[in-house]
Amino acid sequence: MNEQASTNGKTVNSFKFVPGLTRRVVRAWIKREQPRPIPWTPLSKPLAECTLALISTAGLVLKEERPFDQEGERQNPWWGDPSYRLLPHTTREKDIRLCHLHVNPVYAEEDLNCIFPLQRLSELLDEGSLGRLAPTHYSFMGYILRPQVLLEESVPAMIRHLQAEEVDVVLLVPV
Amino acid sequence: MGLVQREIEASGISTITLSPIADFTASVNPPRVAAIEYPLGQNFGRPGDSQGQMAVLRTTLKALEEMDQPGSVRHLPFEWPEKGSKGARASHPPEPPPITKYLMSHPWLYPKLIAGDIPE
Repeated sequence: MNEQASTNGKTVNSFKFVPGLTRRVVRAWIKREQPRPIPWTPLSKPLAECTLALISTAGLVLKEERPFDQEGERQNPWWGDPSYRLLPHTTREKDIRLCHLHVNPVYAEEDLNCIFPLQRLSELLDEGSLGRLAPTHYSFMGYILRPQVLLEESVPAMIRHLQAEEVDVVLLVPV
Repeated sequence: MGLVQREIEASGISTITLSPIADFTASVNPPRVAAIEYPLGQNFGRPGDSQGQMAVLRTTLKALEEMDQPGSVRHLPFEWPEKGSKGARASHPPEPPPITKYLMSHPWLYPKLIAGDIPE
């Protein structure tokens, strides 16, 4: 791993705001991981010429669409809905719900840019520092203890969509 | 999120994760991580703080442009204005998640969660 200090020398404490139970579980999971080869696609052109898409783990869903299956998780707390949803680039807080039983939804429901900064990105477009905002953005629900279905079905489908829209850069935002 | 990121990067798209638990994200060796010390659910900043959100977004995208080595983790310089305990409480969902409630009544299954030995 290549750790890079921030401009002011700050070292981020990954667990400063993480509640106790989650902290203990996550620390144990981190310890179990073995190093693996790292995929790498260099940025091929300046950001001012790139198309960007966002992916959120917050379980964002358009109000008129089928919500993520929270009842299924209540029935079996080891399970999480591995599907994904598409969100147009014009999505605003009034259009969405947050379907994630491990997340406090109040911040994103008040201002979606807290986790899904479509308005900030469109400001970057206006000033010319970003080339294009993809027509489509994505969300899945991040509490998935067994990720097979997510990785074998949902992610390949998202990738096909990203490629069809000629996306160069993806910004992922776990919550 | 790191596992999803790896797949997308491998498909030929450049990726970066803005992670509020960067050690966790980085533990599966994704290509680029921006580490932010903000509470879960407010990665870019508080509601209504468009200037602060923009600063985090710009710094994250700049990190993406500058990183030239696989497995880069850039620590972002931003400070959250509240204490850790207050910020952690603020990120709690309205009620405890199902797994938390379940393990309170089935504490002997907690080691399974820790071990990643997840029942069907």
